[in-house]
Amino acid sequence: MADKAAPDPLAPWRELLSQWEKSANSLANRGMGTDGFSGSMNQAMNVLLTGQQSLGEAMVKYLAALNLPSRADLLTLGEQLGAIETQLASIARILERQNAPAAPPLELPPRTKRPPRAPQ
Amino acid sequence: MNAASVASETEPLAERVRLEIERTIARSIKGVEYIASPAPAVGSSPKELVYKDGTLNLFHYHPQSDEIYRVPILVVMATTNKGYVLDLAPGQSLVEFLLRRGFDVYMMDWSPPRPDEKRLRFEDYTHRFIPSCVELVRNRSGERDVTVLGYCMGGVLSSIYAASHPDGITNLVCFTTPIDFSQMTLFQKWADRRYFDVDRLVDTAGNVPADLIFRGFEMLRPASRGMGQVQLWDNLWNDDFVRSFRMFERWGNDTLPLAGEYFRDTTKMLMWENALHRGTLELAGERIDLSRITVPALHVTAEHDHIVPAEASKPLIESIGSHDKENVVLKGGHVSVAAGPSASRRLWPKLDAWLAERSF
Repeated sequence: MADKAAPDPLAPWRELLSQWEKSANSLANRGMGTDGFSGSMNQAMNVLLTGQQSLGEAMVKYLAALNLPSRADLLTLGEQLGAIETQLASIARILERQNAPAAPPLELPPRTKRPPRAPQ
Repeated sequence: MNAASVASETEPLAERVRLEIERTIARSIKGVEYIASPAPAVGSSPKELVYKDGTLNLFHYHPQSDEIYRVPILVVMATTNKGYVLDLAPGQSLVEFLLRRGFDVYMMDWSPPRPDEKRLRFEDYTHRFIPSCVELVRNRSGERDVTVLGYCMGGVLSSIYAASHPDGITNLVCFTTPIDFSQMTLFQKWADRRYFDVDRLVDTAGNVPADLIFRGFEMLRPASRGMGQVQLWDNLWNDDFVRSFRMFERWGNDTLPLAGEYFRDTTKMLMWENALHRGTLELAGERIDLSRITVPALHVTAEHDHIVPAEASKPLIESIGSHDKENVVLKGGHVSVAAGPSASRRLWPKLDAWLAERSF
């Protein structure tokens, strides 16, 4: 029971940190809640997106010149593979159902439970 | 002052000093363990994947009681995060609690959308994914009635589903669900249509990267991440604290990317137009009117929710047409209201009592 009897020497430090966290968050939220911050943040994102877009377009031309597939080509291929996989999976499920005995469904308990105070 | 009284006064102080020394040593030892050990396992309640459609996974948890309530529960997880926050670990799991209390629990959980799923629209979630899962739960359970429980954006999707499919569900439960998006002030500011070019973002990136979503949440409380590390150091001697910290940290870092068109719809319809709150939201050719929800409804909000403030979530219960409806404000934050030790004392018993009366 020493915890109750003796004061925690680190308690003021913890309290100070907690207060600092609240103040820092509050101050940052005030700064981030301005038009200036929103404008700057979105401008930075637009610059990043423009760079990404330009780089992507340049890479497409470069890869085409080398007769190599671009990211978009690979994604299209991936989509087509995904569609084939889905169809194969559904065919496999149908075949499994036809050829193998069905797996026993999950044994569920009876749906008879009632709340403690409910009328029977 | 005699020798005995001096001893009795200095004893607690000596005990305290001894305790602090022990904790300092434990911090050093546990600090090494922390770095060397893998993150704790999460989402360990036994379950079965019963349906998958791209980004959507429908899990059925194995019942953990001898008899269960007639009405199954379908949990709709927020699209930004993994559902294991509601099933962190034995003893810290809302799902496990509900299973032990006799509920039959399903969960719609999300995987990162594939590149081709950038075309998923908002209505794919409300008018395709949820109805498919409700139908599957009905078929599997043999029951017409289903309780839908949505967390955060999962609550938004569930409410819209409930409004557009009035006969679709039996009870509606929402946790920390925003309806009036004009009240999410910082997100509003950052998504200001004068500066934020959502079309350019989606057209360039396809799916919206998880990092962007994660930073958005983190920027709401920029000092808290650093403070979390300080708190971790301070509590390194405490195994329970460290375990819980690591599970929540892992979950926070597991933020999901969002399907591009879904994000575009969310930004334009909810953030810019505030269409759900204003009653002008149209999806799949129909207007979404929350007053068409007439089933029993419970909305649980958090007193210290920094993501969805009370002003944003309060209109849900006010808007819906049910007679049996209740808004409960509990102590806690956006996550801690539903998961963690305080949730197990506050929310879980309340939810159990509310659901039990409406699930037989």
